Amino acid sequence: MASNIDMISLLQSKFGEKIQIQPGVSGTASIVANNGLHHDVLAEMIAADEKTGIVAMTGLDFGQTLGVYYHVRTAKPFFTIKAEVPKADPKIRSVVDIHPGARFHELEVTDLFGVVFVGNEYDGHFVLSENWPDGVYPLRKDVDPTKVKLVPTPEREANLPAEGRQVKIIIGPQHPALLEPEKFSVTVDGETVTKVEPRIGYVHRGIEKSTESRTYLQDIYLVERVCGICNPAHAYGFVGAVEKILKPDVPERARYLRVIALELNRLHSHLLVLGHAGLEIGYETVFQYFWRDREPIMDLIELTSGNRVYGSLITVGGVRRDITAEQIPKIKSVLNDLRGKIPFYRKIYLDEPTIRLRMKEVGILSREDALKLSVVGPIARGSGVDIDVRKDIPYEAYGEIPFKEIVYPDGDVWARMNVRMDEVEESLNILDYALDHLPSGPIRVDVARSVPVGEAVCSLEAPRGELFYFVKSNGTDMPERVKIRTPTFANIPSFLKTAIGESIADIPSNFVSLDPCFSCTDR
Amino acid sequence: MTDTKTWARVKSPWVLHFNSGACNGCDIEIVALLTPKYDVERFGIKLEPSPRHADVLLVTGCVTQQCAERLKRVYDQMPQPKFVVAIGACACSGGVFAGNYNTLGGVDKVIPVTAYIPGCPPRPEAIIDGVVKLLNAINPPKQKKAVEA
Amino acid sequence: MIDLILIFRILVFPGFTFILFLTLFCDWVERKLEARIQNRVGPMVAGPGGILQPLADFIKLLTKEDIEPRGVKKAVFRFAPMVAFSIMVFAMCFLPIDGASVLSSGGFSGDLIVILAFATIANFLLFMAGWASANPYGTIGSARVLTQFLGYDIPLYLLALTPAFLVGSLSVFEIAGAAWPAIILAPWAFVLFIITLQAELEKDPFDVPHSESEVVGGLETEYTGAKLAFLHLTRDVQVVFGSALVVTLFLGGANGPMIAGLEWLLQPIYFVIKLLIVVVISEYITTVVARLRIDQVLTGNWKILLPAAIISLMITVALVTWVYNPLSIGV
Repeated sequence: MASNIDMISLLQSKFGEKIQIQPGVSGTASIVANNGLHHDVLAEMIAADEKTGIVAMTGLDFGQTLGVYYHVRTAKPFFTIKAEVPKADPKIRSVVDIHPGARFHELEVTDLFGVVFVGNEYDGHFVLSENWPDGVYPLRKDVDPTKVKLVPTPEREANLPAEGRQVKIIIGPQHPALLEPEKFSVTVDGETVTKVEPRIGYVHRGIEKSTESRTYLQDIYLVERVCGICNPAHAYGFVGAVEKILKPDVPERARYLRVIALELNRLHSHLLVLGHAGLEIGYETVFQYFWRDREPIMDLIELTSGNRVYGSLITVGGVRRDITAEQIPKIKSVLNDLRGKIPFYRKIYLDEPTIRLRMKEVGILSREDALKLSVVGPIARGSGVDIDVRKDIPYEAYGEIPFKEIVYPDGDVWARMNVRMDEVEESLNILDYALDHLPSGPIRVDVARSVPVGEAVCSLEAPRGELFYFVKSNGTDMPERVKIRTPTFANIPSFLKTAIGESIADIPSNFVSLDPCFSCTDR
Repeated sequence: MTDTKTWARVKSPWVLHFNSGACNGCDIEIVALLTPKYDVERFGIKLEPSPRHADVLLVTGCVTQQCAERLKRVYDQMPQPKFVVAIGACACSGGVFAGNYNTLGGVDKVIPVTAYIPGCPPRPEAIIDGVVKLLNAINPPKQKKAVEA
Repeated sequence: MIDLILIFRILVFPGFTFILFLTLFCDWVERKLEARIQNRVGPMVAGPGGILQPLADFIKLLTKEDIEPRGVKKAVFRFAPMVAFSIMVFAMCFLPIDGASVLSSGGFSGDLIVILAFATIANFLLFMAGWASANPYGTIGSARVLTQFLGYDIPLYLLALTPAFLVGSLSVFEIAGAAWPAIILAPWAFVLFIITLQAELEKDPFDVPHSESEVVGGLETEYTGAKLAFLHLTRDVQVVFGSALVVTLFLGGANGPMIAGLEWLLQPIYFVIKLLIVVVISEYITTVVARLRIDQVLTGNWKILLPAAIISLMITVALVTWVYNPLSIGV
């Protein structure tokens, strides 16, 4: 495993003066690699460490030039490769040839910033709506998106046969298998899927742009609303990044309370998807049972944060609400109730014959592909890749809390669901530990409204996998740029790969095993 | 006859859920309505997969550019009499996303809305309350019946 | 006078009206049972305990706007749901609900085959209804109905012959009136029949034609208003019909301990009670399993159920020839 110093000295010996290292900026270090060197640097890092993957790509507008930041995850440390291209001729070499998982990230930067990635060009819009005019890039600073004149919507794609026996089936945007609007064109040969093309962007609300015109405090509430399921994770992602620039002294108790909020959230999210998977494979009773037992957890979230869904508990400098001593026994008794039910549920997911028929050997993602596509969270862990941000880069109190990292080697839908099943139990353990070891003291410190110039990244393990935030501040009370990379965005390429060659009837169960969240994906 | 008709309509509202660019908060609360704690099947409410079968359209989300056209189509596909309920702050007015470049802000910009349920997200109880109020509103007032007779 | 009784029998009891309300009642039982298993309460508001819920749904659908989308095959689209429903009710009329067939008290020999044929025709009409609706989901859904019932009809017929062999007659009246019901003489056939019926009625784990996550509303996707009402009703009558078939073939029809002079009352009561037992069993299976994939459904038929049905029939014939007949059990 390549350690921190290794990678930097390796790159320095390899590239010498051609790259500049900025230690401690946006991760362990930032590597400025212009003139097409970003490609070679990344290739070098992948060769040195198999867990190297692109977590996110941020586009930035520097006025005369456009910046492209490659946020790279290795086994432990976190790097940012920085490249710049002139605005007049924004062409840069694509990295999809060495890392296929970068494809979607590049397309998004193309659509929102107009950077052309040579080797990964795309016609049409990726996240923007069809009636958005070509050549206008909303996230550039010189564009006022509210003044953009929309063009008429082009002709809709027809349900035409692709070629020969192949038939194109369009799933979505309004479809019972998708709780959210999103479109997938599935090409089938008989019952076998030969191609899946996604069209995302139905839930694109332009959150990244609007964070730039709101204060940091308002932004916490805004980024929470990226996703209604994993909102504490989003709040923490943003707050964590801002705190890395501001460096407030967050009290111990707040760090534990944040863990409690994040784990309660993981608990409800996992129960939600374990039930929803039942709905997708026609097992309604499983759905009803899981959601029945999710309700007490929702009550706990309400008890600790004040609201069922949007608690807005986590804020810069600490948390907004305390857990009183009287509440702890109540919380623990609810958690114990759930713990008693786990063996029954585990038996269903491990052994129930119809579930095994529908989930075993379906949507297999090999370990190699998982690494190449840089998938995250339960998908990666279901394919035998042991990445979990809570273990790899412990944040808040996670470093002090003992828990197991769940890894299943099978790589199929069944493994992914069982990773979640086991994580429910681990979450209960973490919650119990955190409640037992809750330090005393204040729950927040006051922080300045304005944030000094700087940039920081924050990644954390949301229920669906690694959630990534990049915040660049400019000294005012509003951020210069906020980049959000959500777990589903990183996981969709794996679905496009695993669906191919399988029956079309497997698509729902394969798809739900990603625990897809499109409001996250599109932002 | 009218009495029976109204009775049947009030007792059997089948709903279709349309997400027009919501954050999932409201959507999950709508699904939670079907589950043991809230169980709206008590009122005969059934979540239907096809717009052709639905009586009430539950719309969540701030209506993104990409969804607007689709929302209109789904509404047009529903048979009369039909009702639209806007669920959540976004569906009512655009919520925190009002004024963003890719959102229209509010369901009533695209289709007529019968009932608004505010909240971010509204609690399941609030959604039930809203739908029940809508059902009471369907019950035609007594004078109207006299005119028909 | 006799004609009046016949008309009463066809239209009111045990004919059309009775079957209609029995169907709505069974629908309520199913929904309520499913809800209770899933820890919910189910319909509550329409009538006591929600018992009028299916009726409310039915009436509401009748009063909805009836949309005829462009591109549908008009004649089929309009009439298939109605005709399918009528055929199912007609098939029900041959079953001895109050101890006798609705049309002629003793039925006729070979009416078992006619009933099964009616059920198949109704299924085929449902397929046509979906096919005519010019919607990809309707087409896929109805194609699935077709593949499924074509496959599962064969074991269903073979298994339905088991009681016929035991009694030595193809008349449902005689099969129902056998001294020893087939469930005692051939319990394995009963189990297989229930499983096959589950597939034939498109209920879990075989409800691929209605899988919302794959085919949206299946063949019903484009239907609205009265047509949809009749499609729903046809499905519900099919459930009642399937259960009634089990009662007739395996559970001894309307037979039971009789009080002289009260047969006219007790017989339908016994029949309905037995029918409800079958409905409950079937609904219980539905709630405790997941849906299979379409290819698994088909393999399940050709590789498991069909051979099992053939073997079951062979065992029955052997038993009848060498055990039951010498001991004069059965007839």
